[in-house]
Amino acid sequence: MLSSVPHRKTWWKWKKTVKVTRSYPTFSSPNAWKAFRGLLPVDGEPNPGVGLGVVEGLLCQKVHSPEFNLFPDSVVFESNFVQVKRGRNWLDIHKASDTTALGVTSSVPCLPLPNIILMASVKWHQGQSQTWNRPSTAPSIFLKRILPLKFVELQVCDRLQRILRLRTITEKIYYLKLHSDHPETVFHFWIQLVEILQKGLSITTKDPRILVTHCLVPTDYCSPSGDAKLVQKKLPASQPSESLIQLVAKEESEVLSQILADLHQQHQPRSSKKAETNKHSSGKETPCEDSIPCTRDLHWRDSFMNGEWERENPSGPQPLSLLSTLAASTRPQLAPPIGNLI
Amino acid sequence: MAYAYLFKYIIIGDTGVGKSCLLLQFTDKRFQPVHDLTIGVEFGARMITIDGKQIKLQIWDTAGQESFRSITRSYYRGAAGALLVYDITRRDTFNHLTTWLEDARQHSNSNMVIMLIGNKSDLESRREVKKEEGEAFAREHGLIFMETSAKTASNVEEAFINTAKEIYEKIQEGVFDINNEANGIKIGPQHAATNATHAGNQGGQQAGGGCC
Repeated sequence: MLSSVPHRKTWWKWKKTVKVTRSYPTFSSPNAWKAFRGLLPVDGEPNPGVGLGVVEGLLCQKVHSPEFNLFPDSVVFESNFVQVKRGRNWLDIHKASDTTALGVTSSVPCLPLPNIILMASVKWHQGQSQTWNRPSTAPSIFLKRILPLKFVELQVCDRLQRILRLRTITEKIYYLKLHSDHPETVFHFWIQLVEILQKGLSITTKDPRILVTHCLVPTDYCSPSGDAKLVQKKLPASQPSESLIQLVAKEESEVLSQILADLHQQHQPRSSKKAETNKHSSGKETPCEDSIPCTRDLHWRDSFMNGEWERENPSGPQPLSLLSTLAASTRPQLAPPIGNLI
Repeated sequence: MAYAYLFKYIIIGDTGVGKSCLLLQFTDKRFQPVHDLTIGVEFGARMITIDGKQIKLQIWDTAGQESFRSITRSYYRGAAGALLVYDITRRDTFNHLTTWLEDARQHSNSNMVIMLIGNKSDLESRREVKKEEGEAFAREHGLIFMETSAKTASNVEEAFINTAKEIYEKIQEGVFDINNEANGIKIGPQHAATNATHAGNQGGQQAGGGCC
């Protein structure tokens, strides 16, 4: 488990000066650690994330291209998936030449966690190797949708088969199998990401052992000294009060509850019975889960309601991608690991 | 495929008015009676030809539900055209047009071409909003107007293409600065070089048909 507890409700209380030159790994096994450390480039060396095809890949290129010019300063973490459906075995939904690019990014780079999911369909040329890392001929890639992460639940569905389950608040469920051309390491990245999205990230909280050079709050409130330690300080009067922030969070929560209530009404004929059924199957995949009423999982939505990364347009500086932050937290360290994540 | 211009469109309007169905009809020429509620943005694209030029329409289908609106309105920026859709069988969707219009104008550029669409024209027996009302609203706010049916495909092509024609005309008239991407227009690779030489001559000039 993570050694630090996420502090979604209170993190804005602290003025942060974050120096992302060292942090503490949180991986469970040496192998996993070895894999994750590859995400962050070392000065002067090519970015290993690029080599693995999870950074600056085809989806990123598409989104950052002049055609879309979306989230230009944000890192995109992405992989190539095959959309599958449940049967006795997992069955491919599309032709082998059609795959799905799934990526996460942030609407603004300063957010501590990603808040956007990107999905694109990819059409590979006949007989072309679908290696995500620098294919010889670029396949056709079509951006299909942008989903705010707060309306999406991402889960590891089948570790052995490397399948993720993506469920939207509207009960659309995608089962995405990591493409066989991706090494195992890449699926570990996704496992890690799922964990982080669910539990937070120690670097986004108040872990005093993490030195942070960039500021996650408006410049006015940064320590001029640039001290590499976290500074706890009361916000000036001009900052929104905690109660105000809580009020905003509460309103967001109410809005979301309303959506869920609306959806619940739409799903009414099928919902009540299955809600009862699923009460007892929490955390387990069941064959009928495609029909799970959305009201069942209010708790997972609630757990996402209070983070700064929820905000689509936060004020303040945007010095470092939160995905970079994510990567930074996995950087090779001088100090030993302090905890296990998985 | 190469194109001379790319126009960014947004489709906006209340939930359930048929925005996604219009997009699907336009891009895939099919109608899907039951559609998942859109969250965030869904994308579609299609090539059309105007004045002998290939134009790519990049269409952003936004969520109509009020609760998603704060998110989707951030994507209005940089649209050259907007399809503002209401449902002729639901008076409330027509009543909300002013709010949508204010939102669109506030979050996108002032030159954006807006096509007002009264959708579901096939459901004449359930009509709650007269065509004349739609026309009057459009006239009052300087919009183009059409009634469409995503189900029968009636006027769907025309709605998208007429909007593009209006944008194209504005380019010809120099209203749109095509070198400013905030206007939702991008020049295709093969036209970039040509347009660079014409860019300086654009301001207010009545450009000839073939030059851009």
